[in-house]
Amino acid sequence: MDFEFVHRLDKAKNQWNISIQGEIDIYNSSLLKDKLYELLEQEKADLYIDCEGLEYIDSTGLGSLVSVLKKVKQFKGNIHLSNLKPNIAKIFKITDLNKVFVIEGAIYE
Amino acid sequence: MNKSPKTIIDEDIIELGLPINPAYVSTARLTASSIANRMGFNIEDIEDIKAAVSEACTYLIKMHQLDKSIQNMFNIQFIIKSNALDIMLTAEKIKFDNIYEEDGLGILMIEALMDYISLSSKDDANINIFMSKKLK
Repeated sequence: MDFEFVHRLDKAKNQWNISIQGEIDIYNSSLLKDKLYELLEQEKADLYIDCEGLEYIDSTGLGSLVSVLKKVKQFKGNIHLSNLKPNIAKIFKITDLNKVFVIEGAIYE
Repeated sequence: MNKSPKTIIDEDIIELGLPINPAYVSTARLTASSIANRMGFNIEDIEDIKAAVSEACTYLIKMHQLDKSIQNMFNIQFIIKSNALDIMLTAEKIKFDNIYEEDGLGILMIEALMDYISLSSKDDANINIFMSKKLK
């Protein structure tokens, strides 16, 4: 695994607060999907993912996030992504996925 | 350290041979990043090249999963030019019918990130992905 994954359930707001650090590509993207699925099995809550420490994500990582989003949408939840680095924000933009996920917070320069 | 393009020679070629294995895609990214940096690309363009090389490797790995007749190694050539970085990925194959049946997201990303991309046709002897980024 080349990414760090920290999570905490905020029961009052019914949301998972997650922080991801490192790089996500074809080597570990299925692991990311599994970890997010596990959280949803524990508690069906919105996912708030802080991407400040996310250095890189590829098309397979985006695919994992889209799969998880489909699951979240089944209970009318959502995935919120914050603090995207410019290179990550660009990847969401060119794939139009910035319209599919809720992107919030600063984009780091 | 002098990062000027003058320290490298026009038409220098750097070759990297990698097993078709997801564990080594980061190696290709790092190499691409290092070469683009040395050529004097700006940070945004370096990130574009890194992502494009990564997607091209991922494309080959997915093709290999579809057709195991492709050899287990692939090759990346970085061709340094005074005004551009050309990158060619090549995997040998015996037969291959699925070349355009991937989901297409990775190729779409390469098209957006690079100035030029071409894919070999299914009739070619090898699978090739050629792409280029101009040095502004």
